[in-house]
Amino acid sequence: MRVMLRSALLCSLFIVVGCKTGAEVRPTPQEPVFESTVAYCDETQKAISKDADLRASPYGIDQHVDKNFKDRKVSWLMTDSAYQKFIVQTGAKNFGRCNDSGCFLFAAPAATIQEAVAKSMVDGKHAPAVIGQALGLPAKNFEGTLRMMTLDLAASKTCARLPVDEDPGVWKCQTPEDTDCFKFGGYTSGGIPELMAINAPVEQATVTEVP
Amino acid sequence: MSDEEVLIQSPLMYRLLRAPDGTLTLEVVVGGIAMYEVRVRLNADEAAAYAREGRAFADRMARAIMADPPFGGRSVRGSGA
Repeated sequence: MRVMLRSALLCSLFIVVGCKTGAEVRPTPQEPVFESTVAYCDETQKAISKDADLRASPYGIDQHVDKNFKDRKVSWLMTDSAYQKFIVQTGAKNFGRCNDSGCFLFAAPAATIQEAVAKSMVDGKHAPAVIGQALGLPAKNFEGTLRMMTLDLAASKTCARLPVDEDPGVWKCQTPEDTDCFKFGGYTSGGIPELMAINAPVEQATVTEVP
Repeated sequence: MSDEEVLIQSPLMYRLLRAPDGTLTLEVVVGGIAMYEVRVRLNADEAAAYAREGRAFADRMARAIMADPPFGGRSVRGSGA
């Protein structure tokens, strides 16, 4: 009798526990886990990134990317004529200014650039002043047909770090009031987050014409 | 269609162009997250320096333009072919 009672008790306990564990437990949506963008860099770029992080300390590229480039997608703009002459006609493999160390490209969060372009479209054409205002840059930078490039840094395993003064193409600001020039720290002089992508592959980028 | 001859097409994103009259012009892609071209016509001293040093001078001058696109008021916005 005692044995039967113990068995029944155990059985009911099992059912209760079973009911609890069997309840509908839906997995909470998790954000994808990305590797550091510096993991894709060669030793030279890793060393430059380390120095840049030290200079920006306690900030750094990983915090910068986690804060401003959550989906790891970047965009940038070029005039169509520059795109044709320096990417298409040359059959470039990578975007950016190239030297013996690699090809160096400033890029911003894709959503920021795409939103600025979308807001500027009037009757199928972009308004340079609107993009300029959104990105904190002079309107003249956006005159004529543009190309908007977008790249997934994680999917393409592209190296990215904080830009530094020595990077090709850097136009250093001379006064605090200067705009359209480079200030160290991961933000453009207009306050837009930026990073330096190295060897961004042409074939993995999405290129959109902006009339 | 441009009638300028391309003397240098650099991976640094600049071109050195020669017009039919012999004038040399550097066309340089400047800017960060938004890139565009500017053109600077070489003066006599710069043309002479290019004749002496070749590509090394063109590289140096192009870097100087990238680092300061107004280039002392000498640059003009470039476009077209």
